Order: sequence, then structure tokens, then C-alpha cells
Amino acid sequence: MSTEATPQDQEDRTARAAKDIGPTGPITKATDMTLEYVDERTKVVPDVKWMMFRKIPKETSWFQTLGFTALVIFAMQAVTGIVLAMFYKPDPATAFNSIEVITDEVTWGWLVRGMHKWGASAMVIVVFLHMGRVFFFGSYKYPRELTWVTGALLLVLTMFMALTGYLLIWDQKAYWATVVAVNITASAPILGPYVADILRAGPEFGPNTLSRFYSLHMLVIPGAIATLIGIHLYLIARLGISEPPYSKRLMKARREEEDARRRAAREQLPHGRKPVPAPGTTPQREPVTADGGGSS
Amino acid sequence: MKRSQKLAYKREFEASKKDGKPFFPYAVAHDLIVATATLGVVIAFAVIFRVEIGEPVNPATTDFVPRPEWYFFFLFELLKIFEGEDALTPVIMATFIVPNLLMVLLIIWPFIDRGPERRIWRRPVSVVTAIVVIFMLAYLTEEGANSPGGAVAADELEIPGIENFPEAEAGFELYLLNGCASCHMINGVGAPGPGPDLSKEGEKGRTDEWQIGHLKNPPEFVPGSSMPAFTNFTDQQYQELAVFLNGLGTDFN
Ligand code: HEC
Ligand code: HEM
Repeated sequence: MSTEATPQDQEDRTARAAKDIGPTGPITKATDMTLEYVDERTKVVPDVKWMMFRKIPKETSWFQTLGFTALVIFAMQAVTGIVLAMFYKPDPATAFNSIEVITDEVTWGWLVRGMHKWGASAMVIVVFLHMGRVFFFGSYKYPRELTWVTGALLLVLTMFMALTGYLLIWDQKAYWATVVAVNITASAPILGPYVADILRAGPEFGPNTLSRFYSLHMLVIPGAIATLIGIHLYLIARLGISEPPYSKRLMKARREEEDARRRAAREQLPHGRKPVPAPGTTPQREPVTADGGGSS
Repeated sequence: MKRSQKLAYKREFEASKKDGKPFFPYAVAHDLIVATATLGVVIAFAVIFRVEIGEPVNPATTDFVPRPEWYFFFLFELLKIFEGEDALTPVIMATFIVPNLLMVLLIIWPFIDRGPERRIWRRPVSVVTAIVVIFMLAYLTEEGANSPGGAVAADELEIPGIENFPEAEAGFELYLLNGCASCHMINGVGAPGPGPDLSKEGEKGRTDEWQIGHLKNPPEFVPGSSMPAFTNFTDQQYQELAVFLNGLGTDFN
């Protein structure tokens, strides 16, 4: 699990290179040379190797692919979003028209917009399912509490992405839905009116509102999401992915633990392996309770 | 968590990794299969259900009843559930207390449920809580999807009997044209919040003066009100709105 190239590693490598007399294909040779070149200049290769070849529990489940799926959808949203931004004009006078152009005129524009729109729904669903699997597996428990906290913030930010993106279309449905959402925010006590003013860029819905939502949707929230995903993934790699609580190995270990505890309890009975007391005598000890042994 | 429990976890996790397998290629392969399939589904949806173009924004004619994206339906429905006599408390419950409480609970959940047990059937309380929450969200979303206040234009709003009251009819026109329906609901058409349902406003027994004063400066009449002040109507128009509002649920409907 070493994360740094020690002098030892360096020596090993030279020794291996010197000893290696077997036939080496040109591809292997080129790969080795490239890795060597990159590693000398970045010192990153051992980390990457550790990351890729670290051991994970044997019986991982298909449900544990949902986090990665959320990541891929986020990447898809980023790419399609960048393409849309090349044609979108964030101004109340031109926004709607530029959406029409994207949908009807730009080559594949309808597809990119469609992927971005359906991708938003897919991301909400997948992130929610991922959270569900983490919950039911109990994977948020020690030592992964902070992984959960970053994840929960990611869920909230994902919802904010959905909210801010909806307005950019600038059609009646999106406009009035956002008016209502902001009005609802404004009706919250204490901070509500201020947050609403920040969202609207003033006391009323106006041209600046669109710019504000555009910047939130394009810069602020994606930046926050990318940062949090970075922390989330770092923690996951560091702590290792958890083992499903129903895995055969775990159940067997638990069963053996239980057996051992019961055996130990039996040994301690005054009558050894025959816990049937002779008539008239009572066992001296209290019966052993389930939490007596602990899981240690 | 006790020290011994932490040590037990570490020992157990090390053991699970000892006979484990490398991340690459096993986990990567599974990840790629599911992610590619999901991308495929998204692209299929984009191809089959083409994006549409709506009507361009027109902030002047606000006779349009909004509808959020489906993932916010549950919040919208929440507003309806807390609908009550008193206008402010339910709105605050639905817009502020309940969602924020849920959000904070979600974030700090690992610090609430701290036991080491991870087996599903040994954590009945948290698992049942989660299932109840999931069913509630699903129910609210489903209700929102079927709600009559969907994407209909507010001119589909019908108030039987109003045609006998010309002054109220003029007030109704003003109601539709000034975006009242983006905060209020009448006969199930309009936004469920943040303003209260006005279908039975007349039954509250407000005077016309009260209604006019409330429109001009809501917080003066309802402390803490977040309804915007409407100061640009003529006296005639204020009167028409007041007659319309006080007739709701009494003279017509
Ligand atoms: C930004 C959202 C919003 C808009 C737009 C809005 N209202 Fe309201 N309205 C509220 C809120 C919030 C309340 C509850 C607080 C209060 O009573 O002032 C309310 C309350 C009311 C009440 C109930 C007062 C009572 O207690 O009897 C009436 C009547 C009313 N509004 C009429 C109107 C009319 C007419 C319009 C359009 C000219 C309108 N509202 C526009 C948010 C709004
Ligand atoms: C943008 C959203 C998210 C992304 C991209 C993401 C990504 C990932 C990835 C790639 C993993 C690795 C294991 C797996 O795929 O299951 C993971 C694990 C985890 N995620 Fe997320 N996640 C997101 C949201 C969330 C949310 C909303 C939560 C919970 C509130 C959460 C909590 C966790 C936890 C606790 C783990 C560790 C699980 C374990 O070790 O078994 N994540 N996440």
C-alpha cells in the first residue's frame, strides 16, 4: 500500500530490468519505457498502480456500480452542457430563440439537448438509487461517515443543478415554475427573502435573473460538484469499498464468532459440556447474554 | 463507537480484502457495463422522446400555471398537505421546516445511527424508517404527477356562477393577468403555494377595505406576509378585485 516510490522500488526496477532476459514484445517495451519516463517526472505511477490494483472485497455487488454510473452521467452532462453552451445565448431577448436553433437547426442539436435533458432526470434517479444502496448496506457507518456527508451534499447540489437549468430554456413553463420556486423560497422565514433576492438578482424577475441562473448552473454549482466528487472519490479509494453485509464470507465469520461465543459460554457452566444440572442444584452463574462477548 | 468495535471493524475489513480481488479489472468491468447501459438508456430516451419547444416567455401575460420538473413534485405536494385555515404557518412548515429538517437529517444521518451493525435485518428501525420515507416520496411524486394544477393555462380555470357578477368578473380578469395564479390556487387550478388556496376566500368574512389594504400592503394586515404589494391598480380595479375575492366560495363557486 506504499504510495511513494522509495529508493527500494527504484532498485527493484533496475534489478528487474537487468535480470529480464526473456523475449519482450515491442508493445511491452514501449509501455515500460513510457511508464518509466512519466514516473521519473511525476512520481505518480506507483499511486496509480496502487489505485488500480488495490484489493477490494471478493463479493462486491452490482448495486455498487451506481456511484460510478452517477459519475459517468455527470461527465455526460458536462460534455453535452459544453456543446449546448457553444450555441446558447444567455439573454432574455435571445435565449428562447437560441434553444430553437439548437433544437431545429444545429446538426445533432436535438440529440445533444435531449441527452442533457434526460440526463438530468437520470442523474437524479441514479444518485438517489446509489444513496439507497449505501443506506441499506450500512456503508455510511464507521469509518465512512464523511463519505456520506459529501455524498448528501452532492445530492442537494444535483437538485440545485436541476432547478437552475430549468430556467435557461426560457419558455413559459420553465419561467413560471421558476417564479414559483423562487417565490416559495422567499416565503421562508428569516433568510428566505434574502436568498430569493440573491437568486433573482434583485426584488423582481428580470434580465439579470437569467444571467445569474446561467452562472450558477454553468460555473458555481458544477465547480462545487466536481470538488465534492473529488473528495468523495478520494475517501472511497482511501477507505476501500465496503463489503456487502450479506456476503458469504461475512456471514460465515459471524457464524463462527457466534459458535465460539456459545462454546466459551458452555465451558464456563459449572457442569462443563453437560449443562444439565443434577436435581436439586442450581447453576451458580447467570446465563450469558448476547452482548456479553462483544464482537471482538 | 467503542474502541473495541472499531478494531473489530478494521480486522474484519482486512480479512475481507485478504481473499479479495483487484479493483482492476473486476470492479471496473462491472462499473463500465452498468454505466454504458445507463448511457444507452438516456440516449434512447433522447431519440424516442424528442425535446420539445414551448412558448416563449411572456412575463406580461401571466395566465400560465406553472409546473415544476417531476423531481420537485414532492415539495409542491407538501404545500398542499399543509394547507390550512391560517395562511402562514402551513407555508412555513412546507417550504422551510420540513424540507430543511429532512435535508439536515440526511446529511448528519451517520452521526445519529452510529451502531456497528450493518446487517439489514438487524437494523429494523433505520431500515423501516428508510422504507417509509421512500414510500412517502413516491406517493407525493405520484400525487404531483396527477395533480389537476398541471401544465394547464389559467384560462381553463372556471368559476361557476361568476357571470352574474360583472364587477367580480372584471376582478377575475385582473387575477388572471397579474400572476396571482403563480402563488394561489382556485378550484384546483394554479400553484399550490406559497399563497393559500383562495377557493373559499369569501367565507373568511374579510371586508372589501381589508382586501384592498392587504393588496396594497400585505404585511400590514398579515404580519410576516411574503405576498408582494400590488400598488399600481386604479381604485376601480382594487374594488373589482375585492368583490371577486370576497365572493369566492359565497356568491359563486
Ligand atoms: C409571490 C406570491 C404571491 C403573489 C404573486 C400573490 N400572492 Fe396573495 N398571498 C401570498 C402569500 C404568501 C399569502 C399569505 C400571507 C398573507 O395572507 O398575506 C397570500 C395571501 C393572499 C390572500 C389571503 C389573505 C387572507 O388572509 O384572507 C389573498 C386574498 C391574496 N393573497 C390575493 C392575491 C391576489 C388577488 C393576487 C394577485 C393580484 C396575489 N394574491 C398575488 C403570495 C402571493
Ligand atoms: C454526484 C453524485 C455522486 C457520485 C458521482 C458518487 C460516486 C461514488 C462512487 C464512484 C462510489 C464508489 C462505490 C459505488 O459506486 O457504490 C461511491 C461510494 C459511496 N457514496 Fe457516493 N456518489 C454520489 C452521491 C452520493 C450520495 C448522495 C451519497 C449519500 C448521501 C453517497 C455516499 C457514498 C458512500 C457512503 C460511499 C461509500 C460506500 C462504500 O464504501 O461501500 N454518494 N460514490
